[in-house]
Amino acid sequence: MTEANIPILRRITSPFYGNRRLLGYYWERLKKNKLSLIGLGFIIFLALVGIFGPLFTQDPTKADLGMSNLPPLGLSRQESIYNIKTDDFTTKIIEGSPAHPLGTDSKGRDMLAMLVSGARISLFVGLLATGIAIFLGTFLGVLSAYLGGWVDNVLMRFTDIMMTFPFFLLLVLIVFIFGPSLAIIVLVIGLTGWTGAARLIRSEALSLRTRDFITASKALGASDTRVIFKHLIPNVISLVIVMATLSIPGVIMAEASLSFIGLGDPTSTSWGTILNAGQHSLETAWWVAVEPGIMLFLTVLSFNFFGDGLRDAFDPKASI
Amino acid sequence: MKSEALLEVKNLKTWFYTRRGIVKAVNGVDFTLSRGECLCLVGESGCGKSVTALSLLRLFDSPPGKIVEGEIVYRSIDLVTCSLDKLRQIRGKDIAMVFQNAQSALNPIFTIGDQIIEQINTHLDLSHEQALEKARTLLDKMRIPEVDRALKQYPHQMSGGMKQRAMIAMSLSCDPCILIADEPTTAVDVTIRAQIMNILQELKRGREMSIIFITHDLSLVREIGDRAAVIYGGRVIEIAPVERIMNEPAHPYTRGLISCLPDVSSDATRLPSIEGNTPNPIDMPSGCPFHPRCNSVMDVCRSVLPEITNILDVHAVACHLYSGSGK
Repeated sequence: MTEANIPILRRITSPFYGNRRLLGYYWERLKKNKLSLIGLGFIIFLALVGIFGPLFTQDPTKADLGMSNLPPLGLSRQESIYNIKTDDFTTKIIEGSPAHPLGTDSKGRDMLAMLVSGARISLFVGLLATGIAIFLGTFLGVLSAYLGGWVDNVLMRFTDIMMTFPFFLLLVLIVFIFGPSLAIIVLVIGLTGWTGAARLIRSEALSLRTRDFITASKALGASDTRVIFKHLIPNVISLVIVMATLSIPGVIMAEASLSFIGLGDPTSTSWGTILNAGQHSLETAWWVAVEPGIMLFLTVLSFNFFGDGLRDAFDPKASI
Repeated sequence: MKSEALLEVKNLKTWFYTRRGIVKAVNGVDFTLSRGECLCLVGESGCGKSVTALSLLRLFDSPPGKIVEGEIVYRSIDLVTCSLDKLRQIRGKDIAMVFQNAQSALNPIFTIGDQIIEQINTHLDLSHEQALEKARTLLDKMRIPEVDRALKQYPHQMSGGMKQRAMIAMSLSCDPCILIADEPTTAVDVTIRAQIMNILQELKRGREMSIIFITHDLSLVREIGDRAAVIYGGRVIEIAPVERIMNEPAHPYTRGLISCLPDVSSDATRLPSIEGNTPNPIDMPSGCPFHPRCNSVMDVCRSVLPEITNILDVHAVACHLYSGSGK
């Protein structure tokens, strides 16, 4: 009756004293885990690079064949040139140049600029696709647990079916049909990746649903939507956050894999694309493959460390 | 006794359809509740008193639970058949409920203040400041020390008694006229129990609030109850003013219960007890559900379910000893 008069945000996030002290408490716990702080630090660094980096770097698509396969600054490589007149090889030493601190690839494109562009793509795909997946998973999981009965049955059997699809094959198929674009990739990963989340959230919500405070809030006149938004979801939100953090690396890897096999968005430079280009020139210019590899490795590791730390911080039983 | 009935429960049957069979948790409960009266529902564990309480507001899980028969009439609204929206407006505003275990009945991730204010906002259209003020007054009335601090505390930071009182404060936030208290003192120690009983007494006298008090503790019944309904096997088997039930219990089961009360003046070293266990609600004994344990059992008890009949104006019993059919 009066529910409509209360702004929705106020109903979900309560304004009263807020949860600032609780957040502070979690932060204190998180801080004790050094690895997860390092992870968080790298994620923030990556985000800043992804957002502001392109303003300072060169155009990642600008090719310059005269500057191809330049090594990173401080390194050098030897190039043998066959001289047809003397029928001999002359060896030329190519030094890295300050204009391309991380070197260039076989087409002379600046590695730094490409890596920065790749960071942007990876984070964009990772966050957005995970966001869609986790949102769907939470929504369906909570709904399934709360409504129970045949709704639960239908939703969970649907989840089972979704889970049996070989995910990557589906991705390849859809990208093949609709053409490679970032939006399609994000949508496909998001729309197929919610199954695990839905399962987990459902089981958590199932145990919450029978708790007395849910019955108590109903006894005091709360509607279903209020019970779901005010009591169920806030109680699973820590699980949601941890799950989201831990599933971002998978999404980033999926996008990189797609790009690596050439099904990525051709208009954008992602780490997978660079890796793909690098594998052909491993002997002459190993850095082209190694650099995006290291970035992927560090990014995935950071998200995993951070997610682990979050999980421990949110778990009251974990001793930190 | 004022006769204006505020709530009338007629032949209420709540059954649970489980895989192992139909659990007839509540199987024909009748009672009325008047304004300012405290009715105690008494019975052993598993006799159906809690399900009766949950049925009043249709709070049990459905499925598997279902009210198969009966009426619950509150101010000429039948709570069994009315729409869920209608019921939701009654829940908390007209009929509020206090749960047994305050620890689990409060949401662990919000402060007490948040939860009380949320409750106030559900039914009343107050500004945030007004709601806050009301929450403060409510907690103050519950004699919670340092109200402002309590408002900012999370449930795990409070003692059990504080939580129980905060729960009561929350359920009183919209001035309900009926309070259902489902064993509110089971999970707290004796001193807190005394405080909570005092609070309930005050509510009854001060606000003319009707209370349905569910307990298995007969000493509490004596303390707070006006009338008591003894429940056995999902049915009310005896209902009468507390004085009368205590002094002249009619049903053999009630007599047994009363005789189990410890008596400080007697020299007995062992307390008497009722032999046997509560009946299995899936497989109720035929006839009177109490007959396998009854010490004045007659042939008719094994086959015929006794109707509840008045032996006095205010005293009704469901037993063949009084219905005349046994003789």
